[in-house]
Amino acid sequence: MRAIGKNSISSILAYVLHAARIIIWIGCVGLAIAVVMIPFAGGLLAWLQTFDNININGGIDVDGGDYLEIANHFITFLVLLFVVNRLLEILKTLRFGAPFEKENADRFRSVGYALLIGEAAKFAFGFLSIFIDAEIAVNVELTSIAAILSVFVLSEVFLEGARMKEEQDLTV
Amino acid sequence: MAISVKLDRVLLDRGMSLTELSERVGVTIANLSILKTGKAKAIRFSTLEAICKELECQPGDILFFDE
Repeated sequence: MRAIGKNSISSILAYVLHAARIIIWIGCVGLAIAVVMIPFAGGLLAWLQTFDNININGGIDVDGGDYLEIANHFITFLVLLFVVNRLLEILKTLRFGAPFEKENADRFRSVGYALLIGEAAKFAFGFLSIFIDAEIAVNVELTSIAAILSVFVLSEVFLEGARMKEEQDLTV
Repeated sequence: MAISVKLDRVLLDRGMSLTELSERVGVTIANLSILKTGKAKAIRFSTLEAICKELECQPGDILFFDE
């Protein structure tokens, strides 16, 4: 299978990443709507219960934990969006036939930092959930740590690749 | 860089232009320009050999080491 061009791995990856970006945006919009609507949820439910043909039992109890869970998801979506955008930029340079440039090393490094921030945020929210009643699971995933380390290694490889390419280009 | 290239001086002594040297040596003007302006990171022995052959000089006439 070809690396670049039509029906290549990179083009398939680009399609997948574009689809992922749309899904993440939908998720972000959904969360934004949830943040706006949560204060009105009780009132909306009470209004719906006034109708005879709608039978709703129970109530909605909104507390700080719900906002904490939304904030946790929001941070996750933002990190994912940032990573997807950087990966799309890297694939774009691959399509133009010049992937070994310093900017791509910087992009990989920023992806690594973004994933690191995402993990740190997960732990921070998990810690906060002890004090505020929220259901946020915190567990150390070795695969996530391995992925972050791999991205940083890849960044260094690309930095060296960019240096080698520059040397090659300036060899007469 | 500690190594400097004095190709322009040798070309001036021989009364040869960069375009003419490019045609004789078979190296593009762009690459010779990189060499002449001191932007080159490396030079192949084959390129150096061809330049010295055409300019009838020694590698030491083109390349200098600056302290």
